[in-house]
Amino acid sequence: MNALRVVIAVLSVGTVSVAGIYLAAWVDLLVGRAVAGLEVRPLDALIAPLRWGAATALKARTTTERPDAETWALAPALLAALAAVGLAAVPLAPGLLAADVANGIVLFGAAMALVVVAVFLQGWSPNSPLPMIGGYRFIAEGLSYEIPLAVVLIAAALPARSLAIAPIVTSQEHLWNIVRQPLGLPLYLMAGLGLAFWGPLALPGGQDLAGGSSLETSGVSRILWRLAQLLVLVAVAAMGAAVFLGGWLGPLFPGAAWMIVKTVILLVPLIATRHFVARVPTERYVVVSWAILIPLSLLDVFIAGIQALVAAR
Amino acid sequence: MHGIAAALAIFFVTLIGFLILRASERHIAPSTSTAPARVPFTGGRAPDTHAWNRYHVRYYPMTLLFLAFDMEMVFMYPWAVVFVDEGLIALIEMFMFIVILLFGILYTWRERALEWA
Amino acid sequence: MGVKAALARLAAGAPARCFAVVGAEADEIAPWLRLDPELAIVDSPRAADVLLVLGRLDDEMLRAAAGVHDAMPPPRGVLSWSPRGERPVSWPPGGERPVSWPFTDDVRVDDPAQIPAACRRLRDELLSGRRASSPDTLPDIDPAPWRGVGPFGQGGAGMTGGVPYGRPLAARADDRDGLKLDQILVRVGPYLPPFPSGLVLDVKIQGDVIQEVSIPTPAAVAPDLMSAGAPSLTGERALFNAALTQPVPVADIEVARARHHLVWLAEALRVSGLEAYGRRVLKLARTMRPEAAEPVDDLSRWLRRNMSLRWGTRGVGMVSASRAAALPGGPVARAAGDGRDARSLDPAYGRLGFTPVVLEVGDALARWRVRIDEAQQALALAQRAGQSLTTPIGLVEGPCGPIGGDRSTSAALVTMLPELLVGMEWGDAVTTVVSLDIDMAEAALPHDAAVAGRAS
Repeated sequence: MNALRVVIAVLSVGTVSVAGIYLAAWVDLLVGRAVAGLEVRPLDALIAPLRWGAATALKARTTTERPDAETWALAPALLAALAAVGLAAVPLAPGLLAADVANGIVLFGAAMALVVVAVFLQGWSPNSPLPMIGGYRFIAEGLSYEIPLAVVLIAAALPARSLAIAPIVTSQEHLWNIVRQPLGLPLYLMAGLGLAFWGPLALPGGQDLAGGSSLETSGVSRILWRLAQLLVLVAVAAMGAAVFLGGWLGPLFPGAAWMIVKTVILLVPLIATRHFVARVPTERYVVVSWAILIPLSLLDVFIAGIQALVAAR
Repeated sequence: MHGIAAALAIFFVTLIGFLILRASERHIAPSTSTAPARVPFTGGRAPDTHAWNRYHVRYYPMTLLFLAFDMEMVFMYPWAVVFVDEGLIALIEMFMFIVILLFGILYTWRERALEWA
Repeated sequence: MGVKAALARLAAGAPARCFAVVGAEADEIAPWLRLDPELAIVDSPRAADVLLVLGRLDDEMLRAAAGVHDAMPPPRGVLSWSPRGERPVSWPPGGERPVSWPFTDDVRVDDPAQIPAACRRLRDELLSGRRASSPDTLPDIDPAPWRGVGPFGQGGAGMTGGVPYGRPLAARADDRDGLKLDQILVRVGPYLPPFPSGLVLDVKIQGDVIQEVSIPTPAAVAPDLMSAGAPSLTGERALFNAALTQPVPVADIEVARARHHLVWLAEALRVSGLEAYGRRVLKLARTMRPEAAEPVDDLSRWLRRNMSLRWGTRGVGMVSASRAAALPGGPVARAAGDGRDARSLDPAYGRLGFTPVVLEVGDALARWRVRIDEAQQALALAQRAGQSLTTPIGLVEGPCGPIGGDRSTSAALVTMLPELLVGMEWGDAVTTVVSLDIDMAEAALPHDAAVAGRAS
């Protein structure tokens, strides 16, 4: 039954979201402890996010003198909703696709483009100088990663001759896109880090802004912002796994298992980057993105185009 | 059609779910906001003006450049679908389009519009 | 409620989140708190459960600390420690005793080693409700009530309706190209985390570009060491000051120098985004020994290979050779090509084959390199030195600059900040200030106290 499949797909998106967020938080703790030279204690790290959540939730909500209360409430919810839509565009197994549209790449791109709005609102709403700087910085960052992100996804769509994600996955039956479009995945992951403002691109909430856009939030709102950020990371990893690593394709095991494995394979390095790569200054990132990354992504499209033409002969 | 409906359903369910979670804060940790608690934090001293301001002008040139490339992206979406059927001529035409826009980046870089952006 | 109790029990296992207000004579304790697994030092009071008031604070600083306390959402508590067990207030010589201690139910700790455990206990009591949240210290009066023109308080004179919602909107001023853009004044207070505790700046910002920096009241720049009750110099500061007048083992001084540089590096790494690695370096600072200097060499190699650290520091915060010559000395001057080092005048160091570490560039990356290389060099010297002693020549090279001269390096750096930071983006400005390693206590110390070299 069509409707039943859609309901199962929507529920699976929810499950993957929750599991992915928790896994991301756990991996972050594990890698952080290992790099810091502390004992890793994986079981303790498994409960630590809940403990952090409980301690944060018990704090009262703060406001500032004249905030924009509606957008301050909306920002984490909007970010999470956009990330959920992005995740919904990814096929989790053959036939299990919640947002089964003819142009999944465009849907993903549209959802991710609005992330800039959500993060800016989080910085704008408190009416405080440091979050304001964080919000505007993210606009510079957001406009800069947007083009490479969209263009490498278009390059991956070329061999499939379709903007829907399921055909892109099946077009990788003989060769994964990471092999035939080597520029694609690195550029995609770099843009993905910017999308989730994580690690080297954690510009809106960096330590040089004393917490930046999250400086004035406390209590449950702080938890929600973190959850939304981790959900963006999960969506980025899932889409990367589908488009570059062949999605559900793989021998022996069911498609869903392969999808999970490949998502985790992309999620762990994304998270670990935070502890190995220092934060990039905004200006340097903008110049590198426009002068180097965009030409590289256009080269990627060009290479993919030539390959597709040759294959069609 | 059900694809878009599902996507919208997920969007609104997540949005409303997060808003409900946020509202639950009132029951766990009631807020008693006082005037000194509301001062925006910049290290302990009180602010002078609102923080809301019209930001630096350098964002506007970068936004214009972004719009140009965004339009290119919009045209690349349908091009990707029909490209292989159209053959080499489609590749060459898109290549010319891209090169024209790359001149835009070169101009921007030389005009130092990306510095402090 | 059952939910609150369950959450409180769950939260008891998490580290206690503290915001540290560091006053005078507490800078030996404050950095090491980050190592403790039971504490989590946070960047914003909105995220903190406990306010740690460490050291001695004067009038201005107490008022700022009260502001920080009120910014913390309930449930909140205060934990205080001061060097001689008294209330941590200080006041200028001959002056009136300032505002009374603003916190009514703070927990006092006498032994700094007890701070983490006491913090944890306080946090547990607060979250479970056994202890009431610390009440507001400042009166609940709106500092900028909105009184517009008209019967409903709307409107007012001027383009933006006068003073909307009680405060004016941003005024406009010229930028580097002569365009009139909005400019706001950010009062960077004494306790904004990436900046040294006690540094007060009034920064005029356009967007995120700094247009003007001024230091509002130089006298109140740092917690006042000259107060009733003899100020005592403890730990590292005592060691360096003692070397002014009497021979001190070279090994001790050099190990203290290396430790200082590693503690600085840990904070610099944290501000660059590498929080976990910063913690690793802090642990190394505590456990390092001159005989086992390989971890420091490994660290130096890792830092050289890590390209991402170069992105944030290369070409940032250039200190020209002329500015460096105006400084009394120190690693900042040496990173800009000025090779003055008080150790060159000491024959004991000459016998050990000491030459100062000098780089020509003068940017933040050079300052990082100079400090790391000096830390390595210090450990090598400490190992070679054996039992040899320094010769007291009236001038000692401290980790931030020469001690015993007519000016302190940190005071010179603070006065240099306004010209240095203008035109920089905020992130670059923070990188610059962190790379200068300003010792706020030294910046405020009057020169005669430094020369007299009082030690406890």
